[in-house]
Amino acid sequence: MIADAVLGSMPEAAPAEPVTPAAPRVLGPVSPLQMIELLLRDRAAMLARIHHGADLPAILRTMVATIAVTMAIAGAALGSYRGGAQIAFAAIKLPIVMLGTAALSAPALWAIGAALGRASRLAADLALVMASLAFGALLLVACTPLVMLGRSIDLPYHDMILVMVAMFAIAGIAALRMIIGGVAQEAASGWRTAVAGLCVVFSLVGGQLSWALRPYLVRPRTPEVPFVREVEGSLYDSIAGDVQSARGIYTRDRAPLGGARGTERGAERGAEQGAERGAERGAE
Amino acid sequence: MSVALRASFPAPAPFPASFPVPRGVVTALAAAGPVAVGGILAARAHDASPMLAAPAIVFGVVAATGPALYIATAAAGHAPPLSAVVRAFGTAIGAFGIALAGLILPAAFVALSSVSDGAALGAATGAIGGAGLLGLRRLAIELTAGAPGAQSALASRLVFLAWAAATVAIAGRLWWDLAVEVMS
Repeated sequence: MIADAVLGSMPEAAPAEPVTPAAPRVLGPVSPLQMIELLLRDRAAMLARIHHGADLPAILRTMVATIAVTMAIAGAALGSYRGGAQIAFAAIKLPIVMLGTAALSAPALWAIGAALGRASRLAADLALVMASLAFGALLLVACTPLVMLGRSIDLPYHDMILVMVAMFAIAGIAALRMIIGGVAQEAASGWRTAVAGLCVVFSLVGGQLSWALRPYLVRPRTPEVPFVREVEGSLYDSIAGDVQSARGIYTRDRAPLGGARGTERGAERGAEQGAERGAERGAE
Repeated sequence: MSVALRASFPAPAPFPASFPVPRGVVTALAAAGPVAVGGILAARAHDASPMLAAPAIVFGVVAATGPALYIATAAAGHAPPLSAVVRAFGTAIGAFGIALAGLILPAAFVALSSVSDGAALGAATGAIGGAGLLGLRRLAIELTAGAPGAQSALASRLVFLAWAAATVAIAGRLWWDLAVEVMS
């Protein structure tokens, strides 16, 4: 079903026929729950509503609330891997990451498209991005039993990281596909550049914001978890530092290796800790 | 005589109405965008000079190199009318301002939430560079629309590419010098 949602039942990304005037069922007023059902069952109709500007404020309100609730559920599921306060922490942080990234990035879709001659409204583009993210967030919630399954069978930490990456990839691809479908329907000039620009901006901002608010998935044996980690620079600073380290260039006084302790056991333990910490940081 | 004069010098085209926002907003965005990008560097360097230097670089370089594009395309034999070129530049500057308006918030967030100067410089450069490239693309679209025959003219394409490369290189060098000066 998830594969169908990600890969099927969407209009082709190639410029299609302009959206025809929709039936009253599509453009008439619907309740928030009906709107979510429309998003899950008939995304072409949802795209038609957005394209025609039918009740955009209601769409925006519903989608923001959907993202907030579903990402909180997904965050709580991730936090449950460690349990305790981390459940609440991740449930608070994940909606902030998604909504904050969307708020900062969504105007780029409109701005880049408008710069290249795409005639669209900011509200419609915001609604499209929010609806797509809400669809992705709903798919993410559909995947959360996998996290609970992993916890119940004591899946190792790094395997759980891979499960999490797969879940977010599924949700991200589905959301991206819906955005492409929505923008491609207009067959306007510059829509490919606008979508590509949105992807770049969303990745940069989302990466930085999620980095700033980490951790989300924490090892069960971790004694205490902070709400957010200390400020250590940006994601890009960290990547640059890792590239330098990979080339053997270290800027710190001491690396997180145990060699300085002078004993072989200390060196081995330190190397293990360093490798684990590096892998954990990279995965998060 | 006056009719002939009017015929050979068409009235200046109005400011482009080809954006989904009022032209006053487009003008304001084009004027304020580079100032805001300069503000990102200024906030990092605690030096207000980039807020003046950034718009000076953008508009100064375009003003200095713009006439060369018209002259070169005219010499190549595929120049659109002067009014069409002026209108195309106006549209491209408006596109630059609108694109920058969409990129400035993400760039400011990345820059201000980072510790290193490099991330701030990269974010500001990405925003103004991306908007500049979009403006150049819009300029190419408008010039092609202004002179339908030019689309197939290899010479005019080459002229535009050479002009765009030179303009980007000049502006990029000035931007880099500015950034190195204020960040050091």
